[in-house]
Order: sequence, then C-alpha cells, then structure tokens
Amino acid sequence: MKFERNEKWWLNKARQEGDSFVGAGLLARDPMPAAEAAAPAEDLRLAFGRFVRLMRRERGLSVEKLAERAALDLNELVSIEEDLDFRPEPRTVYQLANTFDVPQQRLMQLAGLSVSRDAGFSQEAVRFAARSESTQKLSREEKAALDAFLTVLSKGESKDKR
Amino acid sequence: MTADVSTIFLLDVARGRGIEAELRDAVEEAQLVDWQTQWQPALMSVLQELARRGVPIANWPQSWHWNWREKTAQVKGLLAYRGFSVVCAGLTQGLMSINLNKLARIPAQRGKPLVYVDYLEVAPWNRADLGQAVRYRGVGTALLVAAAVLSRDEGFHGRIGLHSLPQADDFYRDRCGMTDLGPDADYQTLRYFEMTPDQVTVFLEGESGHEV
Amino acid sequence: MTTKRTMTLNLTDAEMQVLDDLSQRKDLTKTAVIRQALRLYQTVEARIERGEKLLFENEATKEKAELMLL
Repeated sequence: MKFERNEKWWLNKARQEGDSFVGAGLLARDPMPAAEAAAPAEDLRLAFGRFVRLMRRERGLSVEKLAERAALDLNELVSIEEDLDFRPEPRTVYQLANTFDVPQQRLMQLAGLSVSRDAGFSQEAVRFAARSESTQKLSREEKAALDAFLTVLSKGESKDKR
Repeated sequence: MTADVSTIFLLDVARGRGIEAELRDAVEEAQLVDWQTQWQPALMSVLQELARRGVPIANWPQSWHWNWREKTAQVKGLLAYRGFSVVCAGLTQGLMSINLNKLARIPAQRGKPLVYVDYLEVAPWNRADLGQAVRYRGVGTALLVAAAVLSRDEGFHGRIGLHSLPQADDFYRDRCGMTDLGPDADYQTLRYFEMTPDQVTVFLEGESGHEV
Repeated sequence: MTTKRTMTLNLTDAEMQVLDDLSQRKDLTKTAVIRQALRLYQTVEARIERGEKLLFENEATKEKAELMLL
C-alpha cells in the first residue's frame, strides 16, 4: 500500500483529531439497560455466587486454592460466594471466566456488571440458583443443575450477538 | 505472509511533538497478544474504577467486549476481510478490521463497492473518554486514512463506510467531513457514515486536491 | 504481499457483456469486478461451509427464497 506523507502532514491530521473519541463498529451486545422483565439483580448475584461455588467444588478446590489459582483476593472470593450484597470487581469476574473457561460476557452479566437484553438467560440463572444447594459434596442434582447451566452460558453467547 | 509496513507519525501528547509509528496492513499475533495482555488489563482497571465510583453501567465505555482474537480467527484466509494496525514504541496502538463485500448507500454512489470498516478500536491509553491523559493522538485518523487508501488501491475510488460508536459521531461528521446517513435501525441505531470519492480527496489531499 | 500474477480469461460474448455492464454500473475496472466476484464467492462458500444459508428476501412481501450453492 503505497501512501507517503511527511511528518507535517501526519501531525496536522493528529491535531485535527484533537481529543475526539474514535471508534467504529457494531457492538457485540446491546449496551442499553434491559427494558424487558429480567430477573432482579439479587437473583442474578445469588446465581453467580452459587455458580462460582459449584464450579470450585466440582474441581475439588478449597476457596484458598481457587483464590491462588485465579490470582484473586481471598476475602473477595469468600464474599462472592457468601455475601448477596457483594459486588465483585470486573477484573475478578474476568479472571474467574478464564479460570472456569466460560464466556466472559455472560459471567459479567451474571455478576451484575453488565446488562443483557436476554430475559431467557435471566430466567435460566434464577432456575439454576433454585436448583443448587450448598452441601459438602456435589450431589447428583447439583451436578445436573451445573451442567445444564453451563450449556446455557455457552449457548447464550451466540444468541446475544448481533 | 509478511505485512506491509508504512511509516507514519503520531502526536506524542506529553512531549508535544511527533513520534514515528508503523501502519501495518495486517492484524498479527503480536497485535493480538498486545490486545490481550495490554489493552484488556488497562480497560479492566478503568472499569474497576468506574464500578468503585458507582458509575451506572449505561455510562461505561462501550467497546470493551470485542474479542479481536476471535474475530481475526473468523476471517482468516478470506479475501474480503483485511486487518490494519498501528504500532508505536513497540506496542499496538490501534486496530481495524475491514470488509470489502459491502456497497455504498448514498444515492449518488448506490451499489458501488466500498471499504467498510467492520471495527475500529484504539488502545485504552489513547482514548480521551476514559478520564486519563491521552498518550498518542492520531491513531484513529491513521486507520481511517488506511481505509481510504485501500479503497483507492482496490479501485473503489476511496469510498469508505462505517457505523460510528456514539461518541465518535462528531469526529466523522465534522472533522473528517463524512456524510451522515443517520441512525441505522438494523445496526443497534448506530449512525452510518460514508465518504464519497470527492470527500476522500479533501480528506487526503485538502481542498485544492494537492498534498496539504 | 501484493505481488500480482497475470491470467488470461476466456469469456463468451455474453459473459464479456456482463463484465462490461457490471464494470460500468459499479465504477470498477473489469479486473476489479472479477476480484470482487472472487471475494464474494469465497465469503459465501465459507459461510455455507459453516452451516449458514444465503437467502434473498423480498422487501415488499418479506418472502424468502433460498439461493443454493453447491
């Protein structure tokens, strides 16, 4: 691609740009808050906490071990699993998504850090929260609930995309 | 396949003078690594700050979820898709993905092929909307120039088209002189802009048609 | 990367006519038309390969007819 201009030309262009924000392209999801009936934030956060706990236990990890593996603060991880009012940091959710190998977008929505228009996903999250209980070992019901919800998490990605 | 590299200049804001940079006609592994290990964490810390300050989600920066690695893999080997990147000081400063399959919509240009910008994003530290000092100015413009030049090279006479991210509307309309075709209902109501061959001449050569 | 090679095309009169026509309508050289056709063909093939379908939709009636590519 032969295109040559001198430094003066480029700097002139840069000055023309000024402090403008430059960006283009379809957003991979709708950034506007959901208008339809989505589950209330607490329900989603409950599902998020349960999901993190079950994924951890399915891997046979203690909270300390998971915190170590995902490079997270132990206190924050405990709060995620136990405190319904707790709002996790975006970086934490990002790390968890990578550690559990689940779609980042979806986990962000579950954690209440971004909004989805997909009311179906909210319903599935609520359903998952209801089916999951916290006991020592992963019961058969819990395993089934977790597997079903993992499918929803991965499937939902393509539906929500443009 | 080796990328074609052109020398360009950006404005180093802190030093108040020009700095040499590369305009590459590809998005390669090095760019994807930078996106993953430099852009994402920088964006995450901005989001952390916003969350901490209780800023409503609707006001958060809007392009943080685009997955460049995924998108690049999707179009690999396809002639109709090309990538461009700007590299400066050993770091990727901006990325652009274009599509050669689309047609112009402006009535006078209708049906004629153009270079459509699928996506254009600059590194978080070059964005004015994240509440920090901008490092390099001119990255977005450089990528737009690349699109216009590619359009000429491919015989499309410079025609380009894109859907603008909301905060960039004024830039395309007022600073680049593009035609605003209004919000597109099929594209999340993002505004659709096009540059005609004449507008590209002004953009690249100035009013007189000579290098300014 | 942009080194090009030359190829001779053998086209019928009708095909040449179409090429000329498209070239005019689209404000492209004949070579550019062929290159566009190649890009489009490859993109369509790739998506069909992925399991997608290429459809035409009638703007007025919203009827869809399928374009089959083998």
